[in-house]
Amino acid sequence: MTETGTSSSPTGAGAVAMDADVIVIGAGPAGMSAATELGAAGFRVIALDMNPSPGGQIYRAVELNLGDQRADPVLARALGRAYAAGWPLVARFRNQEGIDYRPDTTVWELRTDGTVGWQRAARGGYLRARHIVLANGAMERPMPFPGWTLPGVMTAGAVQTLIKSSRLKPTGRVVLAGTGPLLFLLADQLLKLGVKPALIARTDRFGDKMKALARLRPAALPAIAKGAGWMLNLRKAGIRTVTGVARLEAVGDDRVREVVVETGDETTRLPCDTLIVHDGIIPSIDLAQGAGLAVEWRAGDASWCPVTEQSGLASPSRGANLSAGASRIWITGDARQIGGADAAAAHGRLVGQTLAARLEAAETEALTAGPARIYARAMAPRAFIDAAFPQGQTSGDLADSTIVCRCEEITAGTIRSKARQGATDPDQLRGLLRCGMGPCQGRSCASTIGRLLSEEFDLKRPPRPFRGRPPVRPVPLCILATLESLDPELVSSEALNDKPDASGGIDSDV
Amino acid sequence: MFQPIGSPKAPVTVHFDGVPITACPGETVASCLLRNGITRFRTTPVSGAARMPFCMIGHCFECLVEIKGLGSQQACLTVVVEGMNIATQAGAARVAGVGHD
Ligand code: FES
Repeated sequence: MTETGTSSSPTGAGAVAMDADVIVIGAGPAGMSAATELGAAGFRVIALDMNPSPGGQIYRAVELNLGDQRADPVLARALGRAYAAGWPLVARFRNQEGIDYRPDTTVWELRTDGTVGWQRAARGGYLRARHIVLANGAMERPMPFPGWTLPGVMTAGAVQTLIKSSRLKPTGRVVLAGTGPLLFLLADQLLKLGVKPALIARTDRFGDKMKALARLRPAALPAIAKGAGWMLNLRKAGIRTVTGVARLEAVGDDRVREVVVETGDETTRLPCDTLIVHDGIIPSIDLAQGAGLAVEWRAGDASWCPVTEQSGLASPSRGANLSAGASRIWITGDARQIGGADAAAAHGRLVGQTLAARLEAAETEALTAGPARIYARAMAPRAFIDAAFPQGQTSGDLADSTIVCRCEEITAGTIRSKARQGATDPDQLRGLLRCGMGPCQGRSCASTIGRLLSEEFDLKRPPRPFRGRPPVRPVPLCILATLESLDPELVSSEALNDKPDASGGIDSDV
Repeated sequence: MFQPIGSPKAPVTVHFDGVPITACPGETVASCLLRNGITRFRTTPVSGAARMPFCMIGHCFECLVEIKGLGSQQACLTVVVEGMNIATQAGAARVAGVGHD
């Protein structure tokens, strides 16, 4: 272990002791890879994970499902080789010295000076490290349509979680709707578990695939072959599929009873017990923007992503003055840029190696060439995938009566009418309507509101997300009252400035 | 609405709205309730509409229930414990000691 590696003296951060060299937030492929590299280089890492075991969403419960005698062979087969690929990654992470792994831990605050607020069951506190690796992954794109709040409507990721963590599969009449690789992967897994979906209602069209061919790169072929394999299995099983779905509706009383699917010329009504929806995934920016890091609106993808260098180093937004000196936050994996598990693992390694070299004040380039190459290869299919599965329900006409904010039940029409009166800033809308103020803190409506504003209103600059303030997740008062370690900033300074504008770093021309 | 894959483990017992139901050790409250066919986890504070887990990974907050008298607990992130008392959350969360009707 190097001298620097064990140093606990803070670098330019006052007299507050460091709890670790690096805190890694999230233990999916990106977080595990970064932590493993850093641990191997002799640094002390604390890895905070919201899940009970490492693997993230993609490799969720991989130890439980593949590692012990209780593993169910049908389940293992359904989850497939791509899932099993997580096993060695988790094993390396578990066996690496220097990593203090803390499962079931929620992070409710992140600061650019390397401070993290955490909660685990009835305990909570602050931790501080010289650097932070933010690998908190992605979320499924909120996909509003009439009836999407009815019990029985769930995301594809939710059903996958039930399969992996709880060994539960949906029964009765199952309909899948939307687009994106995950939807077809799940359909294939359901088939292998003996669940035959009554319908797959796709918002993408054959024409999208033709257009996407222009973006095809040879390195993308394995991924495309995998997708073609799923499609072939679905066809062989005789699963009814419609493409080019223009309108989707879930109908029911206290739960979904029926699904209505409209293509240009045809309307299908089908009894339904579980409606599984998916419309691609978008980076989780809650912690990044709560920390005052710059995020950027990507119109083509109707989502925000953090502004980072290739190395993952995040940019503070304009005017950020919360900490002295350069950013200490490195963002990796799908939280930085959607790329899937292989890209996330490669980028996590790249960040881990870059950061290790930075901590040792060594040269980085030669070191990280390997992961950089793997990352580039893993990202190669993205342009094709994005073009082949364009976001569906979220980019069509959003009816006035459709709920956009699930928590406060605020419709697209209400948001439009306030925006017409001049409230074209999400924070104004939040103040006027309470959208983004419910328990989910805007996670389920922010990207929809961003899209609605940017597509329908003449904005002078790209839409901003709601301004995030800690705690970014609800923390019981009894925990705040009994924090195990004090706020290091309050300990070391008297001034408590407000958080900077989250979008400030990118619209400097305004 | 959901059924087990493979053979279930020896169950533990929890209570939902006072009724004993079986759960698998290590599973989340959300998966336990779904296994038992419960589709109404909470009702919204605005219209009183029923809600059930939507994302299962802690993003949507649709799975909120009361656990051991504490409101707004995310069922999808909380693991069951033998004898745990779980209740439907009707409308806004109740705060212990504060009047609510
Ligand atoms: S189901 Fe979405 S937060 Fe629990």
